[in-house]
Amino acid sequence: MSAVPQLLVSTVLLGGIYALIAVGLTLIFGIMRVVNFAHGEFLMLGMYLAFWAFTLWHIDPYFILVVAVPLFFAVGLGVYALVMRGVIHASHNVQIFTTVGLSTALQNLALVFWTGDFRFVRPWHSGVVLRIGGGAFNLSQVVAFAVAVLFTLSLFAFMKWTHAGRVMRATAQDGEAATLVGINTDRVYRLAFAIGIACVGVAGVLISPLYSVYPTAGLQFVLLAYVVVVLGGLGDMVGALLGSLIVAAVEVIGSYLFGSAWKEVIYFVLFIAVLVLRPAGLFGQRGAEALGV
Amino acid sequence: MRPRTLALSASALVTALALVGSALLGGSEGQALQGEYKIGLLEPLTGPLAFEGKRHLDGYEVMRDMINERGGVMGKKLVLVVGDAVDPTAAGSEANRLITREGVKIITGTYSSTLCGAASEAASRQNVIYWESSCVDPRFNKRGLRNVFRTEIDGTGFGWYNIEFIAKHLAPRFNLKPNQIKVAFLSEDSSYGQGVTEAARQRAKQEFGMQEVAAEYYAFASTNDFSPIIAKFKQLNPDVVHHIARGNDAVLFWRQSKEQNFMFKALVHAGATGYGSIDFGKALGVDGNGPFVLAEPGPGLRLEAFRPEARKLEADFSEAIKKKTGDEPLASHRLAGAGLWLLKVVLDQARTDELEKFRAAVLAIDMPVGSTLNGWGVKFAENGQNANERVQHYMLQWQNGRLMTVWPEEFTTARAKWIPLGAWDQRK
Repeated sequence: MSAVPQLLVSTVLLGGIYALIAVGLTLIFGIMRVVNFAHGEFLMLGMYLAFWAFTLWHIDPYFILVVAVPLFFAVGLGVYALVMRGVIHASHNVQIFTTVGLSTALQNLALVFWTGDFRFVRPWHSGVVLRIGGGAFNLSQVVAFAVAVLFTLSLFAFMKWTHAGRVMRATAQDGEAATLVGINTDRVYRLAFAIGIACVGVAGVLISPLYSVYPTAGLQFVLLAYVVVVLGGLGDMVGALLGSLIVAAVEVIGSYLFGSAWKEVIYFVLFIAVLVLRPAGLFGQRGAEALGV
Repeated sequence: MRPRTLALSASALVTALALVGSALLGGSEGQALQGEYKIGLLEPLTGPLAFEGKRHLDGYEVMRDMINERGGVMGKKLVLVVGDAVDPTAAGSEANRLITREGVKIITGTYSSTLCGAASEAASRQNVIYWESSCVDPRFNKRGLRNVFRTEIDGTGFGWYNIEFIAKHLAPRFNLKPNQIKVAFLSEDSSYGQGVTEAARQRAKQEFGMQEVAAEYYAFASTNDFSPIIAKFKQLNPDVVHHIARGNDAVLFWRQSKEQNFMFKALVHAGATGYGSIDFGKALGVDGNGPFVLAEPGPGLRLEAFRPEARKLEADFSEAIKKKTGDEPLASHRLAGAGLWLLKVVLDQARTDELEKFRAAVLAIDMPVGSTLNGWGVKFAENGQNANERVQHYMLQWQNGRLMTVWPEEFTTARAKWIPLGAWDQRK
């Protein structure tokens, strides 16, 4: 039987997972111009939230989403106030050191509280497989993909058509000019960071039925999320979704044709090529990398 | 006589009587220990390898207590000074700290093939003994370092055993000759995975003429999807998947194989990680029935096959681990425990940690299979490697959430099931 249907299904579903993680990152990256190396650790915290809720109270991860959105939004506000606010205008080096420090601290806090053991969330839907047209679809992956599309389109609409979104885009284009016209940029950055963390927290909850939960689980995905953000264009929500699908296609088809060892070679060559030839990303507006849109 | 002199004389008399009594009883258990002897212990206690590092630490601590109850080392109380080897850089720097700050003359550890090289190099630069209990990187003992010793089998031995099992145990049950068996090799790409896989590939091809249909390596820390590999393997239709996994990758491969209805006759792994970790059973329960794991023994082991002195050691260690962790000893506990016990045996023979005398004592030990914890024997080669054929290993199989010891059958009460593996929903 041809492997093509399965490869297509795998590409779309894996792309959905990467998009879920990347969409929050591209928001923070695009608007605040901060490289958040702790992004993967908030993903890990989302996974632990789902794990404990499922283990202690048997609550399905999908119900936990109702709690996860406000909870991680609040976490984002708190981390912004305590950590990010102090370095938002500092050099990129200081921002990198700060977020790497935050990443390591969160990883080790998880290790201290919850040990390094692998944990698993197994709701009824994690084992449900739909077989259509020669491809096998895991139901939890289908839901993750659907939510990724929903989130991407919602954030796109929010940025495009709401006042808050326009203010955020204006701040991203020129922070000083935004201040001059009376925009409270500190509030904008705070909101962007909180939304970004809420997105990745939700991503953690959604992927918990698919992957093991452990203190460094975020590292498995965060590097790919950076590749996606660069491919899609900084701050570009739809670009993040398309970039995710491209990375997933490279990973799935590259592994099939050339072997797994080649997949990272291929997409990092693509990553470098985009940085050199089209720094705004494949779908970003030319010059946006300098302006921050 | 003044009261103080009287008290001193009385205590001296009591001490002398205790020593004579102990000597007459002939055992070292309960013997008063004279001072402390510190050994450096490096394990990854934070970071991505911590889940296994902490299990090793539990194994070391349980064995340390058992050793101290049995006369310590060289008549002294054994003390472990612990360093966190989160990555190779930390392994080297922590080794230096243990040597220069803590003054240790022996370092043991480090569980992982990614750590043992750096840690042992650091020890070697300061002429300190390095006693490895777990890493299986075949290069470890091939660097000409006189201070480096390893109690555990190396990756070459893992590969040797796996192919032995496939050729001698599985092939007849498949009604196939070894040279008719099609094997797909899949492995994470660290020195552990590569060492085991390359040794297995070589023996499968050269000694048994098995048909290799694929050989794939992947980075376990960044692999989030096995579906393209599974799609490829389905078309190649192997009888056996030889998969060396490292952690979450085992669960992911098995789950996605089931989703894609990838049918093969057996899956064989080696080592305490991946399929060898208790986490595999926790994640999948009865859905994880079937994979074979070459490791230290577990439930189903026939203790009567061991020599008498090893039976008590084994029983006491298992009991102490159950008390500490609430569960059966895992391979990680056993590797640490066996390694530290052999170090005690050597130190008690050598009566010194001076390298050349210690080394002579190591090379002089000759114990047949079944003599010590895990049923291991001991015969070190000049390069500091305990002979693979003495480090008895066992094939375990996931059966209803438990890793049961199933081979070699003279050591086991349990038997392998599902040969060949049936449909995914029939393995109950």
